[in-house]
Amino acid sequence: MFFLRFLAKRIVAIIITLAAVIAISYIMMYASPGGFMSTTQIATALAPLAAQDPVAYQKVMEQFQQRYGLNLPLWHQVLLYIWHSFTFNFGNSMENPSITIMSQLKSALPISVILAFASVVVSVVVGIPMGIIAALKRNTWIDYTVTTLSMFGQAIPSFVLAVIFVLIFGVVWQNVLPVTGWGTFSEAILPVISLAAGNIGVVARYMRGSLIETMRQDFIRTAKSKGVKYWPLVFKHGVKNSLTALITVIGPQFAFTVVGTVWVENIFAIPGLGKVINTAFTNFDFPLAITAVFILGATIMVTNLVVDLIYAWVDPRVKLQ
Amino acid sequence: MAIAVSQAGPVAAPKRHSQFYLGWKRFSKNYFAVAGLVWVAIFFIVGIIGPWIAPYSYKDADFLAMHTGPSWKHLFGTDTVGYDVFSQILFSIRYALEIALGATCVSFVIGVILGLWAGLAGGIADVIIMRGVDFMFALPSFFFALILVVLLGKGLGPMMLAIGVPGWAGYARLIRSLVLSMRNGEMVEAARALGASQSHIAFKYMFPNVVGSMVVSLAFGIPYDLTAQAGLSIVGMGLNPPMPSFGNMLAAAGENILGFPWLLYFPAGIFAITLLSFLFVADGLQEAFSPKGGM
Repeated sequence: MFFLRFLAKRIVAIIITLAAVIAISYIMMYASPGGFMSTTQIATALAPLAAQDPVAYQKVMEQFQQRYGLNLPLWHQVLLYIWHSFTFNFGNSMENPSITIMSQLKSALPISVILAFASVVVSVVVGIPMGIIAALKRNTWIDYTVTTLSMFGQAIPSFVLAVIFVLIFGVVWQNVLPVTGWGTFSEAILPVISLAAGNIGVVARYMRGSLIETMRQDFIRTAKSKGVKYWPLVFKHGVKNSLTALITVIGPQFAFTVVGTVWVENIFAIPGLGKVINTAFTNFDFPLAITAVFILGATIMVTNLVVDLIYAWVDPRVKLQ
Repeated sequence: MAIAVSQAGPVAAPKRHSQFYLGWKRFSKNYFAVAGLVWVAIFFIVGIIGPWIAPYSYKDADFLAMHTGPSWKHLFGTDTVGYDVFSQILFSIRYALEIALGATCVSFVIGVILGLWAGLAGGIADVIIMRGVDFMFALPSFFFALILVVLLGKGLGPMMLAIGVPGWAGYARLIRSLVLSMRNGEMVEAARALGASQSHIAFKYMFPNVVGSMVVSLAFGIPYDLTAQAGLSIVGMGLNPPMPSFGNMLAAAGENILGFPWLLYFPAGIFAITLLSFLFVADGLQEAFSPKGGM
């Protein structure tokens, strides 16, 4: 019962947030200079007609406004747009009016999602052992190397790493790994690594701190005095207890990675949502762009909800609120 | 009856150092942070004098020397249009700093105002502002920046606003928590009991205690804004060409890398080192001045 109430509350919060994002985006599209939403553009295009045949001009204008609902008051347009977005009725894109936005995004969304999830998984798989080693070998050169490498990963954005990879594998070592495209496993390696680098750093640093903190706790001392051997002590008592806290960083990391996919897809020419966002924004195809952002945002928030649920399930001390 | 009095003279009190001095001591022991600070300082100096020492204007395309490699005439080579990469980098540093500092200021000012308001007024204002903070944290602020660029355009000022306005939430939350911890803190209560005036409390007790966390959060904000700005260029929503920026150069280099790899070496190298330096400095500041953690 309590669980259901929590779930309902969070889902309502997600819906409100998404609705607000759409409303803000729509009003901005509406207000942006030279945007498609402003009728000025079509008015200039039809200026000769207006001079020749004012009646026909009036008709075309009305039809245009009817078509896009521009004759309605703004609040009505916003509500309509929100409703259509939530019912997955995104309409057609403006650059290619014959293709629906839905069909353009259908192929792009899985690519971005796979890319983001893969890099989060890689970062967890690589980052946790790094963090454990650094924590156990605290204040040795191993620790310093891991900590410094994590700083590098965190500081250098994925797109810089991506272009450096393109340089290394496209110019220096050609034909080792493909630097463009999407579809095969080898084509996914470089994008996933460039996205994961920052997360590996975060996970390793967090794991290190968390394990050091856990190993100071009383129950570790008790276990030690009971004669638990070193490795069981580290893994069964230490790591297991510090892993739960690590779940909390995965939510923000996923959001961070999704932004990264938008960049990395453009550099590796991967036909995901990031590529769609790029072409849509540069072509002033705002409905397509806003929808892509909407879908990425929804993915992030749903993932965060799932992460919170997992956290509460793993660690019963955590209260859902 | 004579009481034995110590003849040793006044006991030398341990020398008192200011908070700043102690923090600086800790900071200067962190070699990475000091190295980062040196690079950041160079970056700032180049940003200020860059346009004067640039051998060419960023707008002067040398059509006779398109995509030539590094040479004495063009130190870092020229790009596909014939722009001198060295001059482009000098101007980029200027613009990158202007936008990053401007954007951080915008975020900070909005965040301080809303955070103070939420913390001091409480009640309904607090609830509404913190809901706003939740809203901003639900989605990456990069997406908000992307949408704002559509509205505002791609100039210097619009860029600052587009990156700065969505960044207020972190500062607001920090300031609010500082206000709440200060307002009811024992130290402030004690000062009030001793009859200190409101402004004395604010400047002598509150400010020194919050300035550390604020500086640290600002230091983390600048590299974030630099990244966001370049990231906008990667998706084609960055500073309007021909105005040079690291993001534009990186995006262009990515496209032309097979033929002209030198277009990448210097922009990517300098940009990466700069971000790293800012992060080292921020990390060092956090350890030195705000050990409990800022943002």
